[in-house]
Amino acid sequence: MTGLATLLDVLPLAAVDLDRLFQTIVNSATLGSIYALIALGYTMVYGILKLLNFAHGDVFMIGAYIGLGVLHVFGGATTPIISIWLVILLMVLAAMVGCAVVGVTIERFAYRPLRTAPRIAPLISALGVSFFLQYSMQLLFGAQHRTYDTFLMDGGRLFESVIAWGPLDVSLLRLIVIVGTAVLMVGLWMVVSRTRMGKAMRATAVDRDAAAMMGIDVDRVIVFTFILGSALAGAGGVLFAMRSDIYPQMGFIVGLAGFIAAVIGGIGSIPGAMLGGYLLGLVESVTQTYITTQWSNLVIFAVLIIFMLVRPQGLLGRPEIKKV
Amino acid sequence: MRRRGGIAIAFVAIVAAALASTAGAGSSAAAQIQAIKCDSTLKIAVLTPYTGPAAFLGQDQGSWANLAAKNVGKALGLKVQIVAADSTLDPAVAATAAQKVIADSQVIGVVGPATSGAAAGVSPAFFAAKLAAVTGSASNTRLTKIVGGKPKTATAAFFRVIADDSLQGSVDAKYMLNTLKVKKVAVLDAQEPYSEGLADIVEGFLKAKGVAVQRFSVTNSTTDYSAIVNKIDKDTDVAFTPFQIAANAQAVAVALREQGKKAVVFGTDGTIAPEFKFPGSYASVFAPDLTLDPSKKALVDQWKKDNPGRTFSAFGPTSYGATEVILRAAKKACIDGKGTITRQDVLRRIKSVKIKDWILCGSFAWSTKTNDPLYGAYWLFKIQPDGQNKQIAKLS
Repeated sequence: MTGLATLLDVLPLAAVDLDRLFQTIVNSATLGSIYALIALGYTMVYGILKLLNFAHGDVFMIGAYIGLGVLHVFGGATTPIISIWLVILLMVLAAMVGCAVVGVTIERFAYRPLRTAPRIAPLISALGVSFFLQYSMQLLFGAQHRTYDTFLMDGGRLFESVIAWGPLDVSLLRLIVIVGTAVLMVGLWMVVSRTRMGKAMRATAVDRDAAAMMGIDVDRVIVFTFILGSALAGAGGVLFAMRSDIYPQMGFIVGLAGFIAAVIGGIGSIPGAMLGGYLLGLVESVTQTYITTQWSNLVIFAVLIIFMLVRPQGLLGRPEIKKV
Repeated sequence: MRRRGGIAIAFVAIVAAALASTAGAGSSAAAQIQAIKCDSTLKIAVLTPYTGPAAFLGQDQGSWANLAAKNVGKALGLKVQIVAADSTLDPAVAATAAQKVIADSQVIGVVGPATSGAAAGVSPAFFAAKLAAVTGSASNTRLTKIVGGKPKTATAAFFRVIADDSLQGSVDAKYMLNTLKVKKVAVLDAQEPYSEGLADIVEGFLKAKGVAVQRFSVTNSTTDYSAIVNKIDKDTDVAFTPFQIAANAQAVAVALREQGKKAVVFGTDGTIAPEFKFPGSYASVFAPDLTLDPSKKALVDQWKKDNPGRTFSAFGPTSYGATEVILRAAKKACIDGKGTITRQDVLRRIKSVKIKDWILCGSFAWSTKTNDPLYGAYWLFKIQPDGQNKQIAKLS
């Protein structure tokens, strides 16, 4: 108590802008939600295949484009032919289905033939797929940045409607992102922990060969993992693009953040990926708001390096044990 | 014995590397003095981002350079080919692309570099190769002028057909002060020379006039501006965003609205693109809206026919102008050289070019003091409720 009292004396609390502090918390939760969704895709594939799927960020990008396509089909942001809420739901669902198909295709043609190859081969293949997807999208849709124009949706109410959540004021749009992500993560948790396929995924992650000997169809598990991870990335793409712009290279930057989140959480660990995503969102928002915007990447990566030196297996990851 | 063998191999490797580098230099040197027949196909390289987050620049500048090659080349009786040289937004990539351009002996001039950072980086190489680089978009003042005792960052082989940032920064700040009556302004830069230069000018001008200024620095790759906007005070009147990526200015405007802040976004040439469409925002740019000029209708229609379904930003037409300058210099050199030219011949004649019917309206001539245009101006656009830009003032 004495320590806390001293701390409160030292901190000029009167000078702390509470609005700014609460906005930082909301910013962290929004950003962290997206990072967590992407991190889940990285971590699931790594858990099963020990593969860093660097094309995952680009699947996320394709999800954002699919959402844009659906939005246009239903009349755009300002003149939707059905309820805008239904349009948003369809955008998310279409992106999940579309990205699942993309994910399975990538697995079938770029990773499966290399499953027995040295680990560097699928890694290079993943990078190749990443560039292939980026430049294919650029060729198809051009390089210009696009947006969903969410600020025009429902007469601007998505942005302007604010929901008081305790001391926090959260815009409707942010709430959609935060709650939507939470629903998806709970859904994933249920699939992994409560279904036969989830059990098979966990078994395959522990020991692929042993799982196969126990009668688990490992190929089917891997395909299902790609479906799940890619669908989450697709939903993440739409939710992210509700507040940001879309362009063919967008997946690289956000995907990198998702990858870092997965590493922080302990790559291979599903709860770790969620935790890592929210933690990275918090570090990024706090750094940019209270420390520096100019050097925020420097601070974030310095924190990452220090963290990795202290706990290389990540927050919830297990240290790798080499059997002799 | 084994040690001697190792030393010998290392020696051979060093000699081979030295020879290889000398061979490269030799080919560059040969390229710069090589005479080119005027009835052969002359190449003009367009050094601009064709890929990466600013790839729209490449599409705009490349397509307008192609149109100039077709129209002006035909009018001057020259066979011209536009060569794409991808600089991305990375000066290091631009340097590699520049070396490839220099090594191609048929290249007589370069349109670009598109960005100020790349322009400063590659200018010495172009100067050494006697190759003229004429940009339609790199506007950092120090590229062509000594500022505050600091030397120029580009060489005598660098030219630009647009006004520089010193004019833009001051006219933008004057407009904020006199017309928008600002008391507090947030100035954001994107951590690259173009953006920082403009931000410095506006910040300095406004502070000198007693306006409170908050300065922020972000990267081009920032995807979420919530945290930066969170730091902008609620009573801020304008957020000045001299970015190269229009969507980033849009993201700032959207984040401001989301956080209930009243600041209006004021962008610059990089933000004058369809992606920046937040109503009530401003953007100043070095070129007028060609679609508003009846005398340019045929040209705009021709571009639209060549590029169906696409729109263009202010960056495109200026590259048409830059291409025209190089071609007219080449034509003069062809006449003087009786059918053959070198790169140096073209370089020497760039500043003698005058154009009566200039793409950006009016006429074009060079300043006698610097490698800038004699008459520079900026045009101010305001985004309307339908998201379209409306030209509202000429700032000069």
